Amino acid sequence: MYYVAEVNESECAKYNCKQCVLFCPEPNTLMYHSTKHTAWVNYSRCKGCAICVYVCSDLLKRNCIQMVMMTAGD
Amino acid sequence: MGLEYVRISPGFERYMPKDYVDLVNYGPFGRQVDVQQLGQFKELVEEHPMCAGCFMAYFIRIFYAALPNPEDTIVIGTAGCARLALSQAAVPFVYGNYGDTNAVASGLKRALTIRFPDKVKDVVVIAGDGGLIDIGFGMTMHSWFRREKFTTIMVDNEVYGNTGGQESGMSPKGVQLKMAPKGKQFDKINAVELAKVAGCVYVAKLAPTNPKRIARTIRRAILAARHFGPTFIHAYTSCNIEYSIPTDKVLEDARKREKQDFAFYEWMTDEVREYFEEIEKQSQEVKV
Ligand SMILES: Cc1ncc(C[n+]2csc(CCOP(=O)(O)OP(=O)(O)O)c2C)c(N)n1
Ligand code: SF4
Ligand code: SF4
Ligand code: SF4
Repeated sequence: MYYVAEVNESECAKYNCKQCVLFCPEPNTLMYHSTKHTAWVNYSRCKGCAICVYVCSDLLKRNCIQMVMMTAGD
Repeated sequence: MGLEYVRISPGFERYMPKDYVDLVNYGPFGRQVDVQQLGQFKELVEEHPMCAGCFMAYFIRIFYAALPNPEDTIVIGTAGCARLALSQAAVPFVYGNYGDTNAVASGLKRALTIRFPDKVKDVVVIAGDGGLIDIGFGMTMHSWFRREKFTTIMVDNEVYGNTGGQESGMSPKGVQLKMAPKGKQFDKINAVELAKVAGCVYVAKLAPTNPKRIARTIRRAILAARHFGPTFIHAYTSCNIEYSIPTDKVLEDARKREKQDFAFYEWMTDEVREYFEEIEKQSQEVKV
């Protein structure tokens, strides 16, 4: 079981934003879908730091990312 | 980027690791990427074992997206946390002995200039505060005195992170660390002024709060080193482990330190300034 970030894609798509993607410390992890205009997380690479949550919720007040528990096989 | 040095021999596509195939298909090869495009291309740096939320790892991520010419760049690192990620990128990496980075870089840059007279080869050192300003101090200084044409980037986490929390010359005065229980007795070294006095032609100091500006600073430091002499970036890159910063507060900490003692600072010689004005007018190359 481990902690990962999860983007609420339909909420995120309202903003055409991408800010969290530019602050994730990990490469190839918090991605951006060019046509759906939404951020998405490559769960197997996410280290669960929640910097993206700080960007989306604390700085931008958009509340589109949550930390969730994953279990193997999810 | 021009030269396609990452390619797969026909027939072998389905046997190659997925990350390699992604790099060939969606990597930055054959095109110039912009840091704003992160998340939409396969990055040069791969998964690595640096800690969750480490902003040194973040700085390194931006570094690889900012390189003006990654195919002809050689990165030099050493013992310390940074090499854990630097060694996981699709850019040649040399591991200098602890303290030796700037001597290795001097020789390498000179050799590359002789071996490839008609090519630009960028040499960049990235090492910690301990590696560059404590144990590597003499070699760092002498590479600057000799005006060696490469870039030195100090990823300053204000501690020896990789070895469990000894104070460094860059730790702030008074700070208590695991292996500095009485609190540090001396001031933080003024690396930026040392770099200016020692002969660097471009010097910058920053906290990683603005990816576009980090990228522009890195590109400027590399371009100035190509033509004029040594360049230096002093980047605050917190160690959330040794300074007990909750990972979700790491960016907040960087923003706080930027206001306190890491305000963006950039200094260059007149010659370098004129060069940037010219190329930034001519093309948009340096503007990221
Ligand atoms: C010649 C030599 N002396 C000591 C060491 C042990 N050593 C490994 S990493 C390190 C400190 C790293 O601190 P710093 O350079 O500030 O980098 P950080 O890990 O904080 O990023 C030391 C002393 C070594 N590898 N080689
Ligand atoms: S910061 Fe929030 S709104 Fe902006 S791209 Fe990320 S998840 Fe979407
Ligand atoms: S939790 Fe950290 S590693 Fe995971 S996506 Fe968010 S910023 Fe990136
Ligand atoms: S020990 Fe500190 S500097 Fe090293 S990877 Fe961990 S958080 Fe980063």
